[in-house]
Amino acid sequence: MANKLTENELWILSFYRTSEISGALFFGRLARSMKPGQIQRDMTKHFSDESQHAWYWTSCMQRFGTFPLKLSQAYQDKYLEAAGMPANLMEVLAITQTFEKRVIAQYALHSRVPGLKPEIAETFTKIMEDEKWHIEWVGEALKRMEPEYGKSYIDDTLKRYWKADKEVYGAVLKEHEDRVQDLLRYRKRTA
Amino acid sequence: MAEFLQHPVQKLQDAAILTDLVTDSMILVNMVIDLQEDFRIRLVQEDLKDVKTVGQLLAVFERKMSG
Repeated sequence: MANKLTENELWILSFYRTSEISGALFFGRLARSMKPGQIQRDMTKHFSDESQHAWYWTSCMQRFGTFPLKLSQAYQDKYLEAAGMPANLMEVLAITQTFEKRVIAQYALHSRVPGLKPEIAETFTKIMEDEKWHIEWVGEALKRMEPEYGKSYIDDTLKRYWKADKEVYGAVLKEHEDRVQDLLRYRKRTA
Repeated sequence: MAEFLQHPVQKLQDAAILTDLVTDSMILVNMVIDLQEDFRIRLVQEDLKDVKTVGQLLAVFERKMSG
């Protein structure tokens, strides 16, 4: 069995797992009600990936002889408060694009923190491959939506969500400052 | 709406607060998208800006469908 996780490591991996589960549930419900087509197909794959990621984190924690913490809030929950509720499929995809970019940036940052346990690094590598595809398919879908929604409406929506994402990310880091000290130190050093 | 939120219709009074009816607010996003597919209308975020209750959401849908 691998070395034990620290309390903070266990918390942050549990937070990642909770956010992956929230994503899976959200996309699963959406995929179920989508009209037949490419978005329906890609959304189903996206849902399946997010579920798989939740399992990867669960299994990663188990390799350290522990189970995930039960956390009530996921990263996504804060999005709606900051950005407002997306009201159509384009807005959902725009918020997804923003969120996925944040996830990949966060995982990339965390995966570079010196002294990271190999089991965690391995999990990041597996997940980040899928995340790249998520950004790709959502980007392509948004491009295909341009004739229907208008490029400027899509661009404005993305801008609005970027702004909200910055606020949410900052607020989450502040709220859990004590849990993510290593990450914050590394981020500051490499900024 | 009742089917999506898994509540009896009787519980969905006009004054019921939407966020009180779900454990996860993302369910509301799913529901609104789903209803738009069913009724073949399109909402934008502005339409939902002041929507807090079941009655207010229904009014938005009625307005869009009649317009």
